[in-house]
Amino acid sequence: MQAFRAIVNKELGTVLRDRTIVIAILIQLFIASFSSALLLGVLSAYDPDTILRYAGGNISIAMVDAGNTPLRAFLAARGLHITSYATLADAEAAFYRGKASAIVAVPAGNSGVAEVKLYLADKADSTNSLIRMVIQEPLREYENYLRARNDVQMYYTDLNGKPSTSFELIYSIILPVLMFFPAFVAGSMAIDSITEEVENNTLPTLLAAPITLNRIIAAKITSTIMLAIGQCLAWLALLQWNGINVQNRGWVLILAATVTGIVAAAAALGAVFFKDRERSQFVYSLTLLTAVALSTLLDVSPIKTLSRLAIGDYSTNGWNVVVFLIPMCVLYWLLSRTSRRLAV
Amino acid sequence: MNQTLLIARREITRLRQRFSGGTSPIAVILLLAVLGISAFALRDQISLGSGLYRIGVSPDAPPIRDSRFSTMIVTPVQGQALLDQHIIDAMLDGTRVIRRNDDRSLYAVQALKQYLGQQELRRISSSYPYDQAFPLRVGINYLPASGTNLQAAPGAVAPLARTEQVIIPSLEPPPVPFTQVVLALIYVLPITFISIFFTSSFMEEKVNRRLTVLLSAPVTPLQIILGKMLPYASFALITTVLIGVLTRASLPLVLLIYAPTTMFIFAIYLMVPLFYRTFKDITFIAMLVTVLTTAYLVFPAMFTNASELAYISPLTAAVKMYRGEGVGWREYLFPAVPIAALFGFALFAGSRMLNEEFLMGYRPLTRKIGDAIYLIMAHTQPYIAVPLWSLLVIPAVYLVQLVFLAFATNLPPGIMLGAVLLASAGVEELAKSIGIVVLAEHGLVKGAGNTLILAFLSALGFLLGEKLLLILSIGAVAEAPVSDALFNVGGLLVVTLFAHFAFTSIVTFLSTKARISYVLALSAGSLLHFAYNAYLIRGV
Repeated sequence: MQAFRAIVNKELGTVLRDRTIVIAILIQLFIASFSSALLLGVLSAYDPDTILRYAGGNISIAMVDAGNTPLRAFLAARGLHITSYATLADAEAAFYRGKASAIVAVPAGNSGVAEVKLYLADKADSTNSLIRMVIQEPLREYENYLRARNDVQMYYTDLNGKPSTSFELIYSIILPVLMFFPAFVAGSMAIDSITEEVENNTLPTLLAAPITLNRIIAAKITSTIMLAIGQCLAWLALLQWNGINVQNRGWVLILAATVTGIVAAAAALGAVFFKDRERSQFVYSLTLLTAVALSTLLDVSPIKTLSRLAIGDYSTNGWNVVVFLIPMCVLYWLLSRTSRRLAV
Repeated sequence: MNQTLLIARREITRLRQRFSGGTSPIAVILLLAVLGISAFALRDQISLGSGLYRIGVSPDAPPIRDSRFSTMIVTPVQGQALLDQHIIDAMLDGTRVIRRNDDRSLYAVQALKQYLGQQELRRISSSYPYDQAFPLRVGINYLPASGTNLQAAPGAVAPLARTEQVIIPSLEPPPVPFTQVVLALIYVLPITFISIFFTSSFMEEKVNRRLTVLLSAPVTPLQIILGKMLPYASFALITTVLIGVLTRASLPLVLLIYAPTTMFIFAIYLMVPLFYRTFKDITFIAMLVTVLTTAYLVFPAMFTNASELAYISPLTAAVKMYRGEGVGWREYLFPAVPIAALFGFALFAGSRMLNEEFLMGYRPLTRKIGDAIYLIMAHTQPYIAVPLWSLLVIPAVYLVQLVFLAFATNLPPGIMLGAVLLASAGVEELAKSIGIVVLAEHGLVKGAGNTLILAFLSALGFLLGEKLLLILSIGAVAEAPVSDALFNVGGLLVVTLFAHFAFTSIVTFLSTKARISYVLALSAGSLLHFAYNAYLIRGV
């Protein structure tokens, strides 16, 4: 046990002394802040309400509507400033006088396909894309109105929820990234640490100490799991501090540790098999990519379980976490049976 | 050329030996699995997350096939009960949706609305005649710029522009180019993997000291780099063509668009093996580099139609292509020219650094960077090297500044401009002064007069590069006032030149003559530079 602890201490010591773990933590911080910056940016850059709040003063639309269609009402409800003109020529004159940034012309007649014309400023103008984004929703409402007139019934157009993108991003992307990225790092570290002993020929020396090969590997894996738990704890505290509510924190942490165990054992298995860093790391990252892609399709996936635990899903509990101990044990058993390859 | 090909052949042999036996079939199977599963997962639409919402569905409701929803079939009465117990988040009863009033339920309803809206469009387009299902056409027209003669005569109206594009509102792609960015990113994944191999090739040869032997052979370092790069660049080309064919994109266009992206990734991964010191560094450095390059490529591209700054990423052109929108030459060259320059610079720097002493040295990373800059500069007279350095690092400085700008757009408007100005002043001062400081450390710059002349030359080179870049970027990016502040500060060239010269002299003097630490000297110079820029903007 003492030798075991010595190896764990040595592994943790190297990581902390080399400050390599700092890079890993920086990466995670960068990913988290980057994805939320991206989300906020995307939400505000493409959201009609935000566009109108910041650029609304500059967007006024000249409208030529011969048939008195409800399009004007839809556009006005969106919060756009609309001025009606009798003819297209008048509207165009207003456009060139700078009174309107775009013209919407609705032709008369109400049979068949309606053809609305949108006149925008010269192509290089940057407000064009803003205008097109802002009028998209009113145009769709008008389209639905026309459909109803054609006796085409569209359902579910009147549902009223709350914009869900942030919620989905936090619980199904950011939280899994923060909780499982340490596992990904742990796998890489396990490979580095095992193949380094082999490639630098230090393994025989280590084996001369009163400890078995399986114990050495177990110590290396344990130290990576301990590091991962430390990082996850820090992330959970940071999320809490930012007002993001994570339910079932204990189980979330146990799940993260279990997944780290699975990934580290699988990575170590690869290292035992290939005995060199280049191939083990390559196969490891490919396997991980496959596993992540696969897990989005299955119902029993760590990512899904994590998201559900974190939002406090009624039907998800500790048993859904305990399930993942099985693959961990299987992998670990395989590892202990094959580790002999390293010594030869 | 022959030597380059020879080294390329040798590289392929090395790869073959490394991945003979059991590895290559495993790798191929895994790669195919990744591609297959991703294609399968992306077949319908891309949605965030999986299994977040639990939805009760009545037997007569349409089926829900979206990874975000887990469904169970229940009667409306059961559904109401489950809803009240918080077991499900919403209940889809035929054409009706029942919900609670808490956040979880409301999020679920919004997600359902989005999904069902898409399904409804499919339903009506298959069960009604096309013109009945999509009864609205919107013709997009562009009016000529106001330079025409109609202000003079109010009665005369210019002939209206012809319709350039007809859209159907409900079939327009959503404004957020999420799907297209993911598509554009699919090309980047294999290129990144390939360049990681390129990196580990250098690493392996460094560890087993074969690189030393190679360096003593009659080949130049540039030939070694190009020779090693050639096989990987060809692999990258093949995967790009393959993905282009699979996604039914126009091949010449795809090759044109991805050439800068590939160069960017290779330039960066060429630097990685030159700087790492121990076996353990590389995992983390490679990880960091992957994350940063992906961020640099993805972040601007997400704003494709919302901001013109999106064009700093070469991926934006691909996003436009997949959205069926055109890209102009200016918009293409805007990221491509600086990246090509960066690539050339990386090749040059790499060939200077590829020597045994530098590769095998174990020193702190900052020292190692200092050594690298020395190696790059010391090939010729300081009077030529310093202005050339300032001229050549412009693309890198400019990419860094644009990244700042992209990130700063998320800050509150009040501090956005200030933060960008300060950060970019720091980067500019660093670029202009570091060369002189490193040369002075090696005793190649002596005396105050010498330092002053070099500071002036550095400022001159920098200004020249800045103006060249400005010619390129005008028109592509018009987002005033921030880009003005970055690239166009100051009316008079002489004043700008003098300002650059003054700040560079301050930094170099403080650090080489007054022996103040470089970081402090740099902060002082940057603060002054920032104050000067801020003053100019306020004055304009």
